[in-house]
Amino acid sequence: MKTIRRSSSIIYVAAIVAIMVAFPAWLPAQTAAVKSSDASSGSAVQWSVQVDRVNPGDLEVAHSFQVAIYENLLKELNKTKQFKQVFRDGDRNASDVPNLLVLQTTVEKYTPGNETRRAVTTVSGATKLTVRSQILTREGKIVLERTVNGDVRFFGSNLRATHNLARNIAKAIKQSRWDVG
Amino acid sequence: MDRFFILRNHGNSYFVGHALIRVWALLLCSGLGALAQSTAPPVNASAPFSIRATHLLGLENTKSNCNGALSIQGEALQFQQGGTPGTEVKITSIQAAFLGGESKQVGGLPMKLGKAAAPYGGGRVVSLLAHKKYDTLTLEYVDSNGGLHGAIFQLSKGQGELVANFLKARGVSPSSGEYQATKQSTVEVMHENN
Repeated sequence: MKTIRRSSSIIYVAAIVAIMVAFPAWLPAQTAAVKSSDASSGSAVQWSVQVDRVNPGDLEVAHSFQVAIYENLLKELNKTKQFKQVFRDGDRNASDVPNLLVLQTTVEKYTPGNETRRAVTTVSGATKLTVRSQILTREGKIVLERTVNGDVRFFGSNLRATHNLARNIAKAIKQSRWDVG
Repeated sequence: MDRFFILRNHGNSYFVGHALIRVWALLLCSGLGALAQSTAPPVNASAPFSIRATHLLGLENTKSNCNGALSIQGEALQFQQGGTPGTEVKITSIQAAFLGGESKQVGGLPMKLGKAAAPYGGGRVVSLLAHKKYDTLTLEYVDSNGGLHGAIFQLSKGQGELVANFLKARGVSPSSGEYQATKQSTVEVMHENN
């Protein structure tokens, strides 16, 4: 009887470890809009980008989320080293830069999650974000438009969704080809 | 069959006495309410203020998810981590402050692993009990170039209100939860001036 119990608990732990190991593999699937086929970006000109503050649209998105998306975007875009400079919204230095693009982010869907519910049920309580990211020229011409998802389903705080989202946006921009013309 | 009856036929003085007691009770309750409203400590804008906080993200030259002391001294809000020199944000540069709430699991990674290893779904029961509510303080401020910054702090439950009162005393109007149109961005102001 004892050995049966022991072996069943070992199987249980092994199953959890397997799920934990398999989980990171789900993350790349979060970017539905990212297409790996259109790899490598734009042209030979090195562009700078200005990140605008996040537009919540018609949704009531918590301010902490808006700020977290904005700050994580700045960090992730800097990490990609794809742009010569990454400017913040309202930065006066950006007006002197010749090749400047503007990144606008509008929230399209937002499902507030619950960390405790995630921990208790595993299947519910996920925090989900869907945003429309647009890269525009100074004149307002849309150069690139993508719909990107970010969520936290199992481990981590609710704000982790903003980190995943920003990483996915940066990845989508890096893997896309755009024509400023 | 025996039945118990309560005689409700009281004299007039009984009702007057009860009415007086009720009026006194009402007055006492309303007096206590008024007292409770006035017991909120008046915020001295010039007094230094410091609380324990966790910096979640946003502040420059400060690690994310690190504990430290959030203080308001003079005209600056400062976050100091251990013995290192703190990061300062001028209160005049703060455009908006928002209060929020969050429920988080406690115990960190060791607790998570323990919960995962617990047999027969014991970890789920632990998760149900091992959570704590926090206040979050979100700040939007501008740097010397006019660039917008955001910073998020996690505070113990109830301390968000305290920081909000101190910020309010210094002219920043914090809002709780709901969407609030923030002040005009610096760019807009610049356009208007041109």
